[in-house]
Amino acid sequence: MATTALSRAPESVAPALPLRRRGIAALGALVLAGAACLALGEVGGAGVLSLGTTLFAYVALAQAWNILGGFSGQMSLGVGAFVGTSAYTMALTMTRLGWSWLPGMVAGMAVAGSLSALLAFPLLRLKGDYFAVGTLAATLALDAWFDNWSFVNKSMGVSVPIQAVPGQTEMYVIGLVVALFAVGSAIVMRWSTFGVRLLAIREDDLAARLLGVNVSGYRLVVMVVSGMLIGLAGGVFALSLVSFVPDGMFAMSWTIEALVMVVIGGMGTVIGPIVGAVAVYYGITTELANFPTLSLFFEGGLLLVIVRFVPGGLWPFVVRTARRSLEWCGTAIRSARATRPPSS
Amino acid sequence: MNATTLVNGALEGGLYALVALGLSLVFGVLRLINLAHGVLVIGAAYAALELFELFRLGPFAALPIVIVVAAVFGYLLQRLMLTNLLLKGPEAGIVGTFGLAVLGEAAFAAAFTSNGVSLQSSLATSSFKIGGVTLEMVLVTACAIAVACAGALQFGLKRTRAGSVLRAAAKDPSTAELMGINVRLVFALTVALAAALAAVGGVLYGVSTGFAPTSDTSLLLIAVAVVVVGGVGNITGTLVAGLAMGLVQAISVSVFGGGYADFTVYVLFFVVLIARPKGLFGQGAL
Repeated sequence: MATTALSRAPESVAPALPLRRRGIAALGALVLAGAACLALGEVGGAGVLSLGTTLFAYVALAQAWNILGGFSGQMSLGVGAFVGTSAYTMALTMTRLGWSWLPGMVAGMAVAGSLSALLAFPLLRLKGDYFAVGTLAATLALDAWFDNWSFVNKSMGVSVPIQAVPGQTEMYVIGLVVALFAVGSAIVMRWSTFGVRLLAIREDDLAARLLGVNVSGYRLVVMVVSGMLIGLAGGVFALSLVSFVPDGMFAMSWTIEALVMVVIGGMGTVIGPIVGAVAVYYGITTELANFPTLSLFFEGGLLLVIVRFVPGGLWPFVVRTARRSLEWCGTAIRSARATRPPSS
Repeated sequence: MNATTLVNGALEGGLYALVALGLSLVFGVLRLINLAHGVLVIGAAYAALELFELFRLGPFAALPIVIVVAAVFGYLLQRLMLTNLLLKGPEAGIVGTFGLAVLGEAAFAAAFTSNGVSLQSSLATSSFKIGGVTLEMVLVTACAIAVACAGALQFGLKRTRAGSVLRAAAKDPSTAELMGINVRLVFALTVALAAALAAVGGVLYGVSTGFAPTSDTSLLLIAVAVVVVGGVGNITGTLVAGLAMGLVQAISVSVFGGGYADFTVYVLFFVVLIARPKGLFGQGAL
């Protein structure tokens, strides 16, 4: 597979710092950003808290998709499978076993991760288009199964016990921690030898294999990590939605949202999915909350427009433009200095 | 489970084969699973519905118009969109066709509401008996059309000059280009032909089963499963696999009940994808 404009991460072109130091710098920046978000939650009102919680869950969702689709090049259309299993695990452990939200969320993450590992065995043998369609089929199968499974109330759905749902401020912090965890995982994967090997697999899996990279092992790890992170995000969504049905939690809309956010922001970058999540969440999801058809229309259209005209996504485009204009300014200043007559 | 269920199931499989033929063609030539194929099929059914509402044209009177519209749409789709995406790599093709599918579903829901509809035709309700088996007329028609389309496609690909040009472009686009074949034109005409086949399948599906804006996903998955079982680009294989798929679905519905109809299709799809990614009948004409 040739290196393509869509799949190339701009950071991979010329790292200014050694790999590990870049990673540590990025983690430091992440901690600062997390502290800033926490402070914002302290001063902000109820609106900030509830918007922020959902936004953080979307950041985690987008980043989890990006780790699988952007870093290792496996385009998943099955985000709903992991959101759904995690949300259902959480609701069932909380209602039937009387667990509180934290063990419930961890259980949800674990089950989503296990599902990921289970699906990895058949799916990782498939490449490209087949992988995408396989994940799509897995999600639809789970949706159809839960719709008919009396253990989970069929299509009537389940709910998280309302008295066990944490308050708004706690939800904000939970969402923030989940988002930081997802972005942190992306940073660790991106700026490490692990990440470099992943890039090698994405660009040419045969060459990577011949160089001694354990291709299936790496793909399995990435798929499980991505599934677990989606599971965490699904737990946050479950807590904020309280009650839900199979068609909602195993829906294609999770995949669409994650894919739109990542593609708009910049697939295969760390910042891109965050930028995309913020842009899509404020620009489309909240604006068009009452017009689901219109918002789907926009999201589908955006996917087409971005992939056709700005294939790398907005963030790399912004970075490139900023760098170019800085260079242009530098050149202009230097040439102005050179042509200025000596003052003395 | 009686003979009528099984026979009609297999006949419905002819419809699946018809839907899968276009997908198989695009997959074989462009090496792309067109995730918007289901939307093309459903779109044709909606176009027929619109023609009925505007001009009172029955589904079969509307079919030629729908086929032409679909073919033009397919040609433009390839020219304006897919060529560019395919040059960027497989990820762009997946994102682009998926985006198109999302856009299509939303557009159908906006224009025609998300309720299920079906195309009215006297064919839909008529049936006849052979022995003790009641055959639904619309399924017999669909199956006959599927066999005719598959036969024509097989003949066209194997025995005509256009067919050999198409096969050359599919096998090795750059060499074909050097031999003076206009590969971009051939690819665009391939997508146009696939869209036309999807249109035939869509109108028949609309008459026999009915459809909603979100019907495209299950149609897409059934079609992919049929293509995988039959072998990519293998026309005869696709036809046989389609019939088999319809039969298996009919059996599973009568064993597990209607609620699990979708579930069995997806599980079957999964099993097929894992067990035989190269198809039971191997690579075909393309």
